[in-house]
Amino acid sequence: MKTVAVFVGLCLVFVFVWERVDVVRVGYQIERLKRDKTVLERQRDELRVKVSALSASDRIAKLATEKLGMSLPQQGQIIVVQSRPSTVRPSSDVVPVELKVAKNYLPSGRF
Amino acid sequence: MAGSFSRGRRYVLLLLLLCGFGVVLFRLVTLQVLQAAELSVKADRQHQKTVSLEGARGTIVDRHGKILAMNVEVPSVFGVPNTLDSPLKLARQLSPILHVKTDELERKLRQDRSFVWLARKLDPEQGRRLDRLSLDGIGVVMEGRRFYPKGPLLAHVLGFSGMDGEGLEGVEHRYESYLRGEKRTMVLQLDALRRTVFPKGMTERSPTSGHSLTLTIDEVIQYIAERELEDAVSRAQAKSGTMIVLDPKTGAVLAMAVSPRFDPNTVSAFSPDRWRNRALTDAYEPGSTMKAMMAAAAIEERVVRPNTMVFGEHGHMTVANTVIHDHERLGWVSFAQVIQKSSNIGAAKTGMALGEQRLYRYLQAFGFGQRTEIDLPGEGAGLVRTPKDWGRRSVASISMGQEIGVTPLQMVSAVAAIANGGVLMKPYVVSEIRDTDGHILRQIPPQVRRRVISQETARSVTKILEGVITDGTGTKAAIRGFRVAGKTGTAQKFDPRTGTYSASRFVASFTGYVPADNPQLAMIVVIDEPRGDAWGGAVAAPVFSRVGEQVLSYLGVPSNGPVTVAMALRKS
Repeated sequence: MKTVAVFVGLCLVFVFVWERVDVVRVGYQIERLKRDKTVLERQRDELRVKVSALSASDRIAKLATEKLGMSLPQQGQIIVVQSRPSTVRPSSDVVPVELKVAKNYLPSGRF
Repeated sequence: MAGSFSRGRRYVLLLLLLCGFGVVLFRLVTLQVLQAAELSVKADRQHQKTVSLEGARGTIVDRHGKILAMNVEVPSVFGVPNTLDSPLKLARQLSPILHVKTDELERKLRQDRSFVWLARKLDPEQGRRLDRLSLDGIGVVMEGRRFYPKGPLLAHVLGFSGMDGEGLEGVEHRYESYLRGEKRTMVLQLDALRRTVFPKGMTERSPTSGHSLTLTIDEVIQYIAERELEDAVSRAQAKSGTMIVLDPKTGAVLAMAVSPRFDPNTVSAFSPDRWRNRALTDAYEPGSTMKAMMAAAAIEERVVRPNTMVFGEHGHMTVANTVIHDHERLGWVSFAQVIQKSSNIGAAKTGMALGEQRLYRYLQAFGFGQRTEIDLPGEGAGLVRTPKDWGRRSVASISMGQEIGVTPLQMVSAVAAIANGGVLMKPYVVSEIRDTDGHILRQIPPQVRRRVISQETARSVTKILEGVITDGTGTKAAIRGFRVAGKTGTAQKFDPRTGTYSASRFVASFTGYVPADNPQLAMIVVIDEPRGDAWGGAVAAPVFSRVGEQVLSYLGVPSNGPVTVAMALRKS
């Protein structure tokens, strides 16, 4: 009986010590993960700023004009065209569309 | 004999043990009872570290969620001079990374101090290079640095924040209480190597970041406005320029451009004069653009109708011993033509018929002489004197936009009121405030300030202002396929040295809205001191046209003019 009591007591001591050690171990693990998280968050923020800077209209326009040879449409070259509602039901192979075209892209140069 | 010796040895041993225990007991009592408080504090100092943390400053995005201002943690470098052996060697190693002169670094590192900043808020790459060197006596801490990824775009609205992260100008300043992160002190547990084990107490949490702001500004519209304004200011060799684009139905600011610009990322490289948001701080004499408001007041009060005939005095009229001139010698013209031809004499006559009390009442109703209460700091109220301070010529002068100071924001708000059918809206730039998880904390709805004129009057004025574009002084503001309404303005600047109006310095402006029958945009362009052809119709109106055309296309607003085409495509 005594032996059993001593054994149980030792087990309890062991469990207590193991628990304390494990708490410290998990504590270190949490700290390491927190550091990793901070580093990753920092990288994410850096990348978000970079994406935002790279997608700035100013930069895109510069690249388009200087590298790709594109140019801004001149006045009167942009016409937003809207389809008019029709009383006649369109056939299945014809669909009304809303088009945005630059005038100089039309073959004839005018509508 | 042997037994007594053995007993004696036992007593000695017992005594020694007792003495030993006595010493231990004494030491225990000393440590645990007598010095308990003092030692406990010392132990805490070794095992715990209290750090002050601040949550990141909130992000600012445009109406489509594009990032305009954001915090990123970047390295700041410090030295511990009193532990260094060779400051010069260290300074030479650090100089190319920190981009600070060797002499300056050496001077800092030779100080008899335990802490000195060497460089703050560096680029992340500089921090990584420094990490690789792993230098003794040099430490790195991470601090939040504000980035404005679009550079100078929208700088006057965004403002900027200082070295310690506090908002100093613009939205950054106005919404400081929302943007600023939470400050919190945390107690950390340290091990024997002074590594952090775990925050003391499981309930400790990191400080929360500041709230995010969603602006009413559209980055693309802002870019178009800034590009066209910069171009116009540069071509006219003007002193400065301002352009505002509003949604006339809500008062939401879609773009607010000021030239010259500055980059909030390198704010100290620009003079404070450049930081000023002229769109809402600087008052100017509006000149003929004021005639639009005067026309609205006169029609609302039934003083005139669009077809009322007014005699143009052939270009000269004397009022209070001064002569008012017109740039065109007009005879009998309709009131609509008075506005379309921008006749000073016709405007002065109508203003005098309206009378000073009614004119003053409408100036106030349109919001002149008072702040629009836009959610930006530093707004000016302009200058509108009360009628008791007016001179004999004041009614005539004010009717044609002199003797009155307005800000571009006041003027475009007033025009937007005509555009939307007569209601003065409060302009605003922030539409939503969100917490760190993206939940909306506050939504800022459009706010009506008051009704100024009736819908019928607004329609009449719109028709007159359309004539300014088709037959009047603002033909260069026309946009192909759209009905445009607006008014030009060319105001001589007051010269404080001579006490008279300058013959060579002007403010050229154009303000209007499009499409005239269902306005989506109300805009103002103000060019300060253009050289050469300084007429509002020549300098400012083309900017209105170019911006309007591109923005309407970007927004997908269908044309309502003669080029509307119905099309259908056959499925391929």
